[in-house]
Amino acid sequence: MGVATVSAVVHDLGVDVELAERHRSGDVRAFNEVYARFEEMVYNLAFRLSGNYEEAADLTQEIFLRVYRHLGSFGGRSSLKTWIFRIAVNHCRDRLSRWRPLTQPLGDDRGEGEVSYADPSRGPEELAVAADEGRRVAEGLARLPPAFREAVVLRDIEGLSYEEIAEVLGVRIGTVRSRIARGRDQLRVLLET
Amino acid sequence: MKRHLSTEQLSSYMDGEVEHAETREVEVHLASCPACRARLSSMRRLVVEIRRMERPVPPQDLAYQVKAQVAAQGEVRTLRTRASDLFRAVFVQPSFRTVGAMGLAAAVVFGFLAWQTVPPVPPPHDAGTQIVTVRTTFGEPPLGLPETTSEVAGREFVLSGDRWVQKGLEWKQPDSRVVVASPEGQDMINKYSDLMLLLTDGSRVVMQYRLATVELSKG
Repeated sequence: MGVATVSAVVHDLGVDVELAERHRSGDVRAFNEVYARFEEMVYNLAFRLSGNYEEAADLTQEIFLRVYRHLGSFGGRSSLKTWIFRIAVNHCRDRLSRWRPLTQPLGDDRGEGEVSYADPSRGPEELAVAADEGRRVAEGLARLPPAFREAVVLRDIEGLSYEEIAEVLGVRIGTVRSRIARGRDQLRVLLET
Repeated sequence: MKRHLSTEQLSSYMDGEVEHAETREVEVHLASCPACRARLSSMRRLVVEIRRMERPVPPQDLAYQVKAQVAAQGEVRTLRTRASDLFRAVFVQPSFRTVGAMGLAAAVVFGFLAWQTVPPVPPPHDAGTQIVTVRTTFGEPPLGLPETTSEVAGREFVLSGDRWVQKGLEWKQPDSRVVVASPEGQDMINKYSDLMLLLTDGSRVVMQYRLATVELSKG
């Protein structure tokens, strides 16, 4: 890790701790800043773990309520990002285990008025191919065992390092390494069949 | 040739998450093993495909809903903080202890006198029936529940007979009926504890829940 990266991490931690302190002292803007910074990441994670748009919105709402309740106790031992991801993963596990296993194909449960994936910079054919590939990968991800899916989503979609994933999942780096490799391997096999 | 690289080695090498010595070992092997090079390329293509999946954008009203719920939480937090501050000021701060004790004594005396002026409640006719009586000694009687709500379970409800119906579902028949004591009812209450506000007087609640229209009642 270079000097610039180290100073960036230290700076981020400083910002994170300051946000928590402002929240503790009653500054409502602190939570709004946290929400703006992590809404999209949390929603995506919830969507990839639940496989359902409506459920992802509900989960996001519940996760941020937990974040709001506990933000004051954030002490900066990890980054705010891994701290929030840990809350998010634990909450998704808890809620989804009480609901149903994730077997529903993705992309077919979007109700009226939900967001569109359309990207105006691509032509119709390219969009159709990309959508088809994306759907296959998403369906494959949804069929992975939850522990592998979490690891692959955190690494390949959210871009966390192995160390950060270990913090989020509360496991050793060796376990993270194994889960990512096995998850990718199973996904490859699923996409080939 | 030495045995092939493991999937774990290839995967963590691709992510740049192996120690320097292991990196050398992997690179030496890859230089002389077309099969492992092919596996690495295949894994790279897979990760590119995963990363190319489009990220769904959160619904536009999600931020509003979260902030509304947080605002409600914030009010509770503020009230708790104020109550705690008041308690500390009255009973913990030495300079206020005497004044606080006098205030408390005055409140007790006033409460006792007020209680004396209220006529006694007649005994219930039937021991098995619970009668709830609301008495007011001064001022206006308490207002009834409003006929519409705002932001209960992140939704707005309209009172229709003895049912609080989520706005937009007025003409829909419930797909299922759920009682609070059932696992699904508990799940709904765990998720939206403020629904109990609507259920306390025996009303039922009709709402959209997990793609279905559900009627929730206490029993």
